[in-house]
Amino acid sequence: MGETTVNVTVNGRSCEAVVEARLTLADFLRETCHLTGTHLGCEHGVCGACTVLVDGAAVRSCLMFAVQAGGTEVTTIEGIAAPDGELSTVQAAFRDCHGLQCGYCTPGFIVSVTAFLEDNPSPTDQEIREALSGNLCRCTGYQGILNAVHQVTGAARGEEPA
Amino acid sequence: MTVPTAEGSTRYAGARINRVEDARLLSGRGTFVDDVSLPGMLHACFVRSPLPRATIRSIDTKAALAMPGVHAVFTAADLNPDVNEQWHTSVGPEGPETPRPPLAEGEVRFVGDAVALVVAESRYLAEDAVDLVEVDYDPLPAVVDYTTAEQAATLVHESHGSNLIGQMSGLPASALQEVFDSAAHVVGETIYQQAYVPVPMEGRALAVDYSAPTGELTIYSATQAPHEVRLFCSRLLGVPEQKVRVIARDTGGGFGQKIMVQRDEMCIMLAARKVPGPLKWIEDRRENLIAAGQSRHEHAAVKMAFDAEGTIQAAQIDFVSDCGAYPTPWPVSTSSVVGALFPGPYRVPRASFTTKTMYTNTVGRTAYRGPWQFETLAREMLLDIAARQMGIDPMELRRRNLLRRDELPYTNANGMPFDHISPMETFEQALDMLDYPAFRKEQAEARAAGRYLGVGISNYVEPSSPGFGYYATEAATIRVEPSGKVNVYIAGGSTGNSIETTVVQLAADALGVDIEDVATIQGDTAVTGFGAGAAGSRSASMTAGAIRETAAILRERIKAIAAHKLEAAPEDIELGNSRASVRGTPTIGMSLGELARAAYFDPYSLPPGVPAGLEASARYTADTRFVWVNATHLCTCEVDVATGAVKLLRFIVSEDCGPMINPNVVEGQIAGGVVQGIGGVLYEHLAYDEDGNPITTTFMDYLLPTATEVPVIEYGHIETPSPGPGGYKGVGEGGAIGAPPAVVNAVADALAPFGVTVTRLPLGPTQIHALIAGNRG
Amino acid sequence: MKPAPFEYHAPTTIADAAGLLADLGDGAKVLAGGQSLIPMLALRLAVFDHLVDVGRIAELHGIERRGDALWVGAGTTEAAVGASVEVASSVPLLAKATPFVGHFQIRNRGTLGGSIAHADPAAEYPAVALALDASMDVVSSRGSRTIAARDFFDGLWSTSMETDELLAGVSFPIWGGRCGFAVEEFARRYGDFALAGVAVAIELDGDDRVRRSALGLIGMGSTPERAVTTEAQLAGQPVTEVDAEEVGRSAVAGLEAVPSDLHGSADYRRQLGAAMVARAWRTASAEARHG
Repeated sequence: MGETTVNVTVNGRSCEAVVEARLTLADFLRETCHLTGTHLGCEHGVCGACTVLVDGAAVRSCLMFAVQAGGTEVTTIEGIAAPDGELSTVQAAFRDCHGLQCGYCTPGFIVSVTAFLEDNPSPTDQEIREALSGNLCRCTGYQGILNAVHQVTGAARGEEPA
Repeated sequence: MTVPTAEGSTRYAGARINRVEDARLLSGRGTFVDDVSLPGMLHACFVRSPLPRATIRSIDTKAALAMPGVHAVFTAADLNPDVNEQWHTSVGPEGPETPRPPLAEGEVRFVGDAVALVVAESRYLAEDAVDLVEVDYDPLPAVVDYTTAEQAATLVHESHGSNLIGQMSGLPASALQEVFDSAAHVVGETIYQQAYVPVPMEGRALAVDYSAPTGELTIYSATQAPHEVRLFCSRLLGVPEQKVRVIARDTGGGFGQKIMVQRDEMCIMLAARKVPGPLKWIEDRRENLIAAGQSRHEHAAVKMAFDAEGTIQAAQIDFVSDCGAYPTPWPVSTSSVVGALFPGPYRVPRASFTTKTMYTNTVGRTAYRGPWQFETLAREMLLDIAARQMGIDPMELRRRNLLRRDELPYTNANGMPFDHISPMETFEQALDMLDYPAFRKEQAEARAAGRYLGVGISNYVEPSSPGFGYYATEAATIRVEPSGKVNVYIAGGSTGNSIETTVVQLAADALGVDIEDVATIQGDTAVTGFGAGAAGSRSASMTAGAIRETAAILRERIKAIAAHKLEAAPEDIELGNSRASVRGTPTIGMSLGELARAAYFDPYSLPPGVPAGLEASARYTADTRFVWVNATHLCTCEVDVATGAVKLLRFIVSEDCGPMINPNVVEGQIAGGVVQGIGGVLYEHLAYDEDGNPITTTFMDYLLPTATEVPVIEYGHIETPSPGPGGYKGVGEGGAIGAPPAVVNAVADALAPFGVTVTRLPLGPTQIHALIAGNRG
Repeated sequence: MKPAPFEYHAPTTIADAAGLLADLGDGAKVLAGGQSLIPMLALRLAVFDHLVDVGRIAELHGIERRGDALWVGAGTTEAAVGASVEVASSVPLLAKATPFVGHFQIRNRGTLGGSIAHADPAAEYPAVALALDASMDVVSSRGSRTIAARDFFDGLWSTSMETDELLAGVSFPIWGGRCGFAVEEFARRYGDFALAGVAVAIELDGDDRVRRSALGLIGMGSTPERAVTTEAQLAGQPVTEVDAEEVGRSAVAGLEAVPSDLHGSADYRRQLGAAMVARAWRTASAEARHG
């Protein structure tokens, strides 16, 4: 029932497949594209672990069907670091500030923070907290994550890392 | 990033080392169970009971089985007879146990109880088929309220004969009667804590690849204890242990929920041998909130006697906990820890306790980070209530009663032998960090302006790294590979606890090698020695012991070879920076690579008696039965009395986990636990309605704290070495123990002008509104 | 937690969408941003044979001045509403409500029309639409019609649209003169649906008297609610003599279906609603007086 061909550009690479209409974008990325870095933490749009960029905007990939993403450019966690493996500024800050423990929620945070800082490179602490509040983490108590985002924004302002 | 040592070589323990886990986890290259995809893999989904208690009259699987893509629908009749033995190692084969049928047999006992298991080509199809399985239930009255379960006419487990699972007690209350009768002040309350749960971001997960020709099983498991999964599976299926291989690469948090195999996982293990491909089960969030277990749900009548100066004379707790229908493991012994530790890090000359654990028709109790933390919650809430009643400052009341270093070792009234702790030091450090007098002044000014600030504290002492039973040993294998690079094999249980980084740091120090030269392999039972996994805040101390024992063998061997080659005495050889050199003449030396090359490829050049190769295995047995840890949590808040909102202003933790292996990791563990504790007081509630239906089954209803709800956490460290390896202590659980009463006491302090006494959790805005309205509860 | 199967349709014109809805009948559901619908599908709390994805219909997008109203296409994302200079200047109440809608990732997909058609009583946009007397452009293969907001929300998650009708756009009247606007709400956590809240608009005359006011209550009933009695009492009053707390008490006084659940008793929500109204009234009236 309801199979459709979709073509999505994922991390710069074209991915075409015949999929069931009900296949979520998250499952499409994980199972069809074999990009398992996008994690499912709730599958009802609250935890943010599955956050990816669709045409540059951070969205919950569990709250989108793959067929809706046809023709778009998707960036997943696998597409954030440089091709040679060098971590992005945001990824490196998470490492430096112990902004991850089990790592399950981490891809969603990295993607969300990357998009957020693109739009707002000099946020206040309250703006950072509000931007992070759509992603749940159970390990860090958010302390290392907040420090990581502050490290990125502080570096952007020319401050020394704490 | 490193700590220089006296000899000038590098020391990694104590430094804020970046984690070795991070590169893969930051870039989407981790391997969680759901990331494992094998050819022909099949997917499982459970049919779960919608009723808290009912007789299963019949199960019609025909329509589901007729669906294309569906391979099997199993019921109890298919799976349960295959159970060979089922018991958890910590309880043992003779231990008293809850009956634990893999699939519900005849009767369902909670909403979410697994009734049937569908296996299909995809999880999508499996869920479609679940909707087609027709179960005919005959509803039965259910035991929903654990507080009346003991008297209920209905029994959760008919075979047990009672809803009381078990009870434990210390000194009888009558022995303290005289103390209470003659005390200047007696303060008593009933303290209640709602159910809240671990909620790892990754639910439970299991993939079982069964090879019929060999009878071997390869299991990918989201677990804190890979070896326990292997042992359990081998017993369950009656398969020799070496034919089961458990692989746990990345696990998305556990916090106690993933220590022990539960019924759902048993079903997957049993079913995997009956289907034509590897079988994967990924627990979704709703299942996790319905079926993965409950914790914390408990209450107690607590009482303390004080003399006129506020010196504690006696403490008594009568504790009752909700254990649901299928607690894992047997909950009675854990409950006794609540009783034994109720006096806490205070001078309490007399104590008594009783504990009761109850079956109900709700989801079974499982471990959660500091499973006994109710003792701290109840004691610290009671101390604040007592202080208010006696008109003594709550900090001063504690100061008069806290154990001082010169009183150690101190065996508490229930026989707990405290030592190597520093309750007074963490207490004073936390108060200094806050500037307590300044806060009281600020609070008074705020009150005058109609704003309600509060401060709350809690002190605790907890046992970490248990030195008994199967927890008491840990093994390591260390291989200096022929190139001189080092691999450390340890049982593991990496679930966010940074145990890979810890092992690499400790091994680099133990062998005197650069940290970049060390890697670790964990979470694969095929190549690691038995270990009990990440539980009981044991990983730091136990792996330190395992590495200490194993590295000692290798150090001796490396020194012997180097001494032989360098024509020096072994005792004059120093190890550092991945080299062995002659003391005082560092230019005379050999790299570990050169030594390893000789050891592997030129064995006849080795000194007499030194075996070829550079690899060793050894096993550590705990130096001590308990490694005690203590901390003080101090919190300030503002309560908006118009909305009932609580804003946490400052949160200070002063803890003594001994020397820190990696302060980042220590603080990360504390922060995670603290925010779970904050969640437990202010946001989280695994709730059932009065008919036994779970009503918080999504993240829309079960509210985890987010970045907007948490304060900045400030850390103070006191480092009193334990008697164990390196002096290290466990720090995995304490955050979740200390935080809740600090938050409760802060809220209660803020609301003191309204004359309220807080005795029940949670403290959501609606409860705070009711408290202020004078409507307790 | 996977959705049940459905047939997917992706029309590119309103006419085609209306035709599909007419042909498919009750088994069809409009898929807009999907931020409320897809969770329901994933939890299998809702099952539809057909989803009509209106996300590829260009006509549903846009923000434009139409006479003395601002028209917002139903398919306009909440993020686009929040970023619009035109919205901020013409319908400040809508702009002020937007940051309260979920989290930014949700606003990147969720649409204004989807939110209003979903008609969650605890959502912000329905309350704003009700407060401002917005009108809904509704299209079906039978023709077009306009539904006034007060006639639109007719029950819990229910509107007066027929199942073959599609919400094409919403026109928000532009308030000129000495106006002030405020949205206040209280949620358990930032970004959650409100336990109680309000969208307030005030216009003053030259003598600081209330010319008109509008109070759209959030999460205080089975639909968004309008505090019409309070608004009538306020009309003509000198704003400096209005007691904000009294406005709050009055606004919640007549409510009959205040929800009650684990997160808040009806009694609590009523008090909270009054407090939110008082706060919003103070902010909006100050803005109206001082600009």
